[in-house]
Amino acid sequence: MDNRRSNRVHRFQPKFISLVDDGLSDYMNLIGMLCSMCALMLKIKFCGWIALFSAIVGFANSRVSEDGKQVFSSFMLSASAIVITYMQNPAPMKIPYFE
Amino acid sequence: MRSSITVFFILLHLLLCFVWSAAKKIHDEDFSEFDDFDEDEFVTEAPFPSGASQLPSKTQSNQPDQTKSEALSQPSMSKTTEQTTHDGVTIDDDDDLMFDEEEFEATDLFSSSSTPDFKIAEVPANLTGNRWESYHCEAIMILVLLSYLINFLIGRSKNARLAATIYNSQRDLLERKFSLVGDNGQTQTTKSTDEQTDNDVVSNNMHKESESLYVLWCSGRTLLDSMLIEIRFIKRQCLFNSLAALIKSINDMIIYTIDYSKDDMETFVFCLAKKRSAVKLHRDMNDLSQFCSERKNAEKHSLSGNYQILSEIGEISNVIIDSRVGDFINKFPDALEYIHISDQYTGMKIQNDNQQSSSSQPSNNGTTVGANGVSATQQQDALNLSERSVRRVLIVAFNLIPSNDRSLQITAETVINDYSRFVLNLADRVSLYRFASKELKAKTSKNRQRIEEQFLKNVNQQRQEQAQQRREEKRRAEKEKIMQSDDPDKQRKWEEKEHKREMKRRQPKMKQMKIKSM
Repeated sequence: MDNRRSNRVHRFQPKFISLVDDGLSDYMNLIGMLCSMCALMLKIKFCGWIALFSAIVGFANSRVSEDGKQVFSSFMLSASAIVITYMQNPAPMKIPYFE
Repeated sequence: MRSSITVFFILLHLLLCFVWSAAKKIHDEDFSEFDDFDEDEFVTEAPFPSGASQLPSKTQSNQPDQTKSEALSQPSMSKTTEQTTHDGVTIDDDDDLMFDEEEFEATDLFSSSSTPDFKIAEVPANLTGNRWESYHCEAIMILVLLSYLINFLIGRSKNARLAATIYNSQRDLLERKFSLVGDNGQTQTTKSTDEQTDNDVVSNNMHKESESLYVLWCSGRTLLDSMLIEIRFIKRQCLFNSLAALIKSINDMIIYTIDYSKDDMETFVFCLAKKRSAVKLHRDMNDLSQFCSERKNAEKHSLSGNYQILSEIGEISNVIIDSRVGDFINKFPDALEYIHISDQYTGMKIQNDNQQSSSSQPSNNGTTVGANGVSATQQQDALNLSERSVRRVLIVAFNLIPSNDRSLQITAETVINDYSRFVLNLADRVSLYRFASKELKAKTSKNRQRIEEQFLKNVNQQRQEQAQQRREEKRRAEKEKIMQSDDPDKQRKWEEKEHKREMKRRQPKMKQMKIKSM
């Protein structure tokens, strides 16, 4: 028996997806921006690298429906923080409490 | 978009390397004048002023460096000569006659010190020896970054392949059961399988919501409105999440959500779940916490002790849990995570803080689900509607676990059709079921009425609070306006008005008390 009915077709709406998002992407973007600022203003190289990691983790955990510009800008900010801190002081990085 | 961003990452790495080499080159040029130093030149007999002994700092002119080298080669020069050379002026020996030694008392002390006090500055590691070796932290960072990116690409492709396998395995079955299979909700026209028209609405794969979430929408069938298949993979694309999944033993899940229209389903709330899920659902789901008072063990229904039942009416359990469910669980142990049937589905509970803070912010879409998994339906309901926006759903969640030493892909390919058939069969039974007696109907109606009254009470309370807030804001704005006007008469008049208003507000209560006493 054919149970298909074309008159009972309903279109998909995103509201039907039960989003169980842990907000990791948003947190990573926030951490990325904070660490970028620290790296630029306080010249802490470690912060710059953390910012870059955060941007990449945020990108990996983002949704397709989210705007890619935010992820992209977060990444560019962290990259610029690293480049500028190394231009100002090319000495190697020292991880706090390890050296 | 994503592939272009990964290509961009690689290009940026190359750019970073280029910038790095350029910075190193500039640095090398600054210190080129130190390359020809011999060890003999470093004679440490006379103390120097502190400014002259800082070797690694960038020098702005060559003159101070040259005078420094002269001073090094002639340690026995008098102080006058050292002073003048430090100033950058070369003086002949004849000039010594101009200076009277008695004027400079400190020279004796200066020349008599036998142990010069040097402060040797620490030379940065990148300027000594093999410079690249000193950048070991950076190398570790870059290695970790590259490994994360490689894991991202591998994890993403694995999830995509699994999704494609699952879709291809059950596509035929779904196309026989539904008129519309696959819809992203974005284009205007739809495709139906019996029309055979070529349209770009329906994709030949599941719709990707994120790297770990794929959905498939099916609609156009008797007895139900729609079916949404969600595949929630482990976040293999993120290294940290995949490690956490290993530790916490999280696995991939397939969730079927079937929506019914108002007349397609009887009014009851029921849930059969594994113990760990039963606890979470009972705590987090609005309908289960409101309508189901306790969790019971499912052993009575010949299921394993691992399962628990939450039911509004006890009789429903016997109807839903029949031999087919038992056979399915025996055939696929640990596959079935939970079955949730409800005509009062409103999503997860809103936390108390969120509710109080967000009740003043109406959402634009009535039934959108928030990013933190909390339903915004109650927010919108509280503000605008007199009815709760509920859904009539059947939700079945399965675990995708590799079985019998097979890979996950092969397991998914073989079992997915059985899962789909089980769900469709259950959906039809739920739709066709009607209460045997009127008492059950009355009981459920009474429960729903009670919840509705509670809801309306909350709505009224929130509306009153909002109205009060608005009134206070208005009053504050008026007060500011009058204070700014700098007119004492106006201010006095306004204060009198306020006073009268307050007296009026207090008076009715007193009047009521008087009537009661009479």
